[in-house]
Amino acid sequence: MTALYIVLPLALLVAAAAVGAFVWAVRSGQLDDVETPPRRILFDED
Amino acid sequence: MTTALALACQHCNLPIPRGRAGDYCCDGCEIVRNAITEHGLDRFYALRDETAPAHTTSATYAELDDPAFQRVHVDATATGDHHAALYLEDLRCTACVWLVEATPRCIPGVREVRVDFGRARADVWWDPQATSLAQIAHHLDRVGHVVHPYRGADRDLHRRREDRALLVKVGVAGAAMGNLMLLAIALYAGLFGGMAAADTAFFRWASMLVAVPALGFAATPMFRTALGALRAGRLHLDLPLSIGIVAGLGWGSANVVRGVGEIYFDSLAMLVFLLLVARFVVLRHQRRASSAAELLLALTPSRARRIGADGAIAEVPIEAIAVNDRLSVRAGETIPIDGIVAAGTSAIDAGLLTGESRPVDVGPGDRVHAGTVNVSGPLEVVATGVGEQTRVGALVAKIAALATRRAPIERLVDRIAARFVLVVTVTSAVVFVAWSTVSIALGAEHAMALLVVTCPCALALATPLAVTVALGRAARRGILIKGADALERLATAGTLYIDKTGTLTEGRLAIATWLGDVDARALAAAVEAGSAHPIARAFAIEGSPVATEIREEPGRGITGVVHGRHVHVGAPSWIRERCTPRPELDAWITEVARRGETPIAIAIDRTVVAVVGLADPVRSDARTALTSLARLGWRIEILSGDDPRVVAAVGAQLGLDPARCHGGVSPEQKLAWVEAARARGPVTMVGDGVNDAAAIAAATCGIAVSGAAEVAIEAADVYLKSPSINAIAATAHGAVATLATIRRSLRISLAYNLTAGTLAAVGLIHPLLAAVLMPASSLTVLASSLRSRAFRDRSST
Repeated sequence: MTALYIVLPLALLVAAAAVGAFVWAVRSGQLDDVETPPRRILFDED
Repeated sequence: MTTALALACQHCNLPIPRGRAGDYCCDGCEIVRNAITEHGLDRFYALRDETAPAHTTSATYAELDDPAFQRVHVDATATGDHHAALYLEDLRCTACVWLVEATPRCIPGVREVRVDFGRARADVWWDPQATSLAQIAHHLDRVGHVVHPYRGADRDLHRRREDRALLVKVGVAGAAMGNLMLLAIALYAGLFGGMAAADTAFFRWASMLVAVPALGFAATPMFRTALGALRAGRLHLDLPLSIGIVAGLGWGSANVVRGVGEIYFDSLAMLVFLLLVARFVVLRHQRRASSAAELLLALTPSRARRIGADGAIAEVPIEAIAVNDRLSVRAGETIPIDGIVAAGTSAIDAGLLTGESRPVDVGPGDRVHAGTVNVSGPLEVVATGVGEQTRVGALVAKIAALATRRAPIERLVDRIAARFVLVVTVTSAVVFVAWSTVSIALGAEHAMALLVVTCPCALALATPLAVTVALGRAARRGILIKGADALERLATAGTLYIDKTGTLTEGRLAIATWLGDVDARALAAAVEAGSAHPIARAFAIEGSPVATEIREEPGRGITGVVHGRHVHVGAPSWIRERCTPRPELDAWITEVARRGETPIAIAIDRTVVAVVGLADPVRSDARTALTSLARLGWRIEILSGDDPRVVAAVGAQLGLDPARCHGGVSPEQKLAWVEAARARGPVTMVGDGVNDAAAIAAATCGIAVSGAAEVAIEAADVYLKSPSINAIAATAHGAVATLATIRRSLRISLAYNLTAGTLAAVGLIHPLLAAVLMPASSLTVLASSLRSRAFRDRSST
C-alpha cells in the first residue's frame, strides 16, 4: 500500500491543477457569454 | 384571395401589399436588402432561421462622434484603437450575429466587432484615423440593427464580477466533493474490510487537507449572509447551514488530529456544492429575466435635432440640450424633452405616459412631454425641461427610489429556519448535558454529530429547486419572472389592480360602432389610407379604392375624392361646418359618446351619411382570465388614466362592478391607490405604461405585459411576453402551485432532520448512515420539485 503515499498526493496535485485551470478560465471571461460562441461556430471563415 | 398569391418580400418573405411596386413589402426591407447585397453579405439569407420585416432609420448618428458623448462612452486601447459598447435592436438569430460581426469587411478601419447575443450588446474596436463611430453605427442601422449607446456597462461589469466569483466557488466545491468522495469510499471500504491504522490516518489527513481550505473558501457566501443577518438581528436560513458547516469542519479536524471519532467531510462537501449550484442556477435565471431591463435606457432617444439660431438643424446628443433650445421632432419620433410646441400640428400618442387611449391633437402653444410619440406631422418644440426635470424623468427617479425601498418579504423558509436554529441548538445542549453524565467526550461527540447531521441541506435546497423549475417552465410559456420572491409574493391572493390601455384592451383604436350608411366604409377607408394618424389606421381595410386630392387638416379631419365622389371624414363639429347635417346626427353622436367611444362623422358629396364610434377593443381572452383570477380569491379593480366613461364601458364588457373601475387616474394617483391598498394586504399591479411604472414598483408584486414601456419592465417582478392576459392568471396559478411544492419539500426535509437528529441524540448515528441519508433527502426534495405542477402546460387557468 506504500504506493498510495505517492499516488494520492499526486492525484490531489492533478486535481488542484484542474481547479486552477477552471479558475483561470472563469477569471479570463471565457464563461461570461455562453450563448454567442455556439452560434459563431456556424460561420464559415471566408 | 389575391393577397395569398401576392409576391413575397425579397427581405422578409412577407406578402407585398397591393399597390406597392417592386420586390419589397416596405422601404425598410428594401434599404436593408440593398445594403446587405452591396457589401456582399448575401450569406445572411442562408444563415438565418427567423424572418421579420427590417427596421432601419435614416439617422446619421452624428451625436456618437460628439466629444461630450465620446468622453463618457469611448475608451482607447493600448494600440491606439478606440473601443465602445453599443446596444443593438432586433438581434434575433445566428445570421444577425454574423452580419454584425462582418462589419470590418464593409468599413475599412473597423478592427473587430464582437456580439454578446444574450445581452444584445456589440463591442466595437476601430481605428479613429480611418473611420468613426457614427459611420459604424450608420452601417449597422442600414443592415437592420438600430443602434443605441450601451449605458448599462457599469452595472454589467459589476454583475459579471459577481457571477464569476460564484462560479469559481461552484468549481472549487465540486472538485473538493469529487475528491473527498473518492477518499471516503476508501475509508468506508476499510471500515468493513479492515485497514491498517496508518493508512486510515493518512486518508483522514488527506481528507482534512482538501476539505478545510476548499470548503472554507467555497462556503464564504453563506457565512457572509449568516453574519449579515445576525448583525441586522434577523435569522436567516444560512445561519443553521453555517453552524452545520463550521461544526462539521471543526469537529472533523479535531477528530483527525485526535485520531478517533467520525469525520463528515464528504457529506459537507456535497452539501456545499449542491447549495452553490442551486444558487448559481437561480442567479442565472434571474439575470436572464432582468436583462430585459437594460432596455430602459433606450426609452428616451439618445439624440435630438436642434434648430440653431441660423435655422440649420444639427443632430446633438440628448445631454447637450438646454432649456429654451428649439428642436425639430419628425413624425414617428419619440419626443425627447418636455416642451411647448412652437410650430406645426400633429397628434401625440401619450398612451405610455398617461394611459390615454385616444391620440391628443396638438398645435402651437400646446405642451408636450418627453416619452410620448409624435404620430402624424413634424413639430418644432421649445424645451422647457430636459433629463431629470421632465415628467418621465421624475417618474423614473421615483421608481428607482421605490425599488430600493421595497421591503423584502419574510420568506417562508427563513421563518422555518428561525425556529430550526432554536430547536437544534437547544437539543444539542440537552444532548451534551445528558451524555456528559456518562463522559464529557461522549457528550461532545453526540452533540456535534447532531449539529452536523441536522444541517438543513434539503431545507436550503427546497426553495431554489422549486423556484428554478417554476422559472424555467414559466419562461418557456413567455412569462419572465425576475426573482424567487415574486412567486411567493404572488401566491397569496389580495387586490389586483389592472391598467386598461394595452392590458385589458389591445392599445389601438378600432371601429366599434357604425351608425348610418355602411357602404360608406370603403370610401372612408380610401381617404384615410393616406394618413398616418391613429384614427386613420382604425379605418384601414385591405383593397380599398385609391383616393385623389387628399387634404388633411390635422386634428380636425380629412377630405378626398374617390370614384368621383367627394368624401369628408372627421370630427362632427368640423363636418357640421362644411356639410349638410341630417336629423339623426345628434342622436348618433350622443349614442356613440354614451358608449365611451370617439365619434367620427362621414359625409359623401357634402351630406352626412354615417357616424362611427372608435374605441380600443377589449382583448378576447380578458373575461375568462379575470374569472379565473377571481376564483383564486383576487379582488380585481381597473385603474386607468383613460376617460372614466371609457373605463366604465370596458368594465361593463368584462362584467366588473362599476365601483371597481376607476378612470382618469394620474400616475401619481395610481401610486397612491396602490400604497393605500397595501395597508390592507398584498397588492399586485398589472400595467404596461410609464404611468403604471411607479405603481408597479410600489406594489407587493408588479407585472408588466407585452409591449410595455421599458421603465415598466424595469420596475416589474414579472414580465409577460405574450399579450394574452391569460398569462396573468397562469402566473398566479403557477405561484400557488410553486409554493405548494416548496411546502411539500420542506416537510420532507424536516422529516429527514427529525429522524437523523433523533438517531444522533441517542448516539445511534453512524457516519455511513449520515452519508446515505443526506443525499437521499436531497434527492427526494429534487424529485418532489420536478414533480411540481407549477406552470405545467394545461395545468392552470
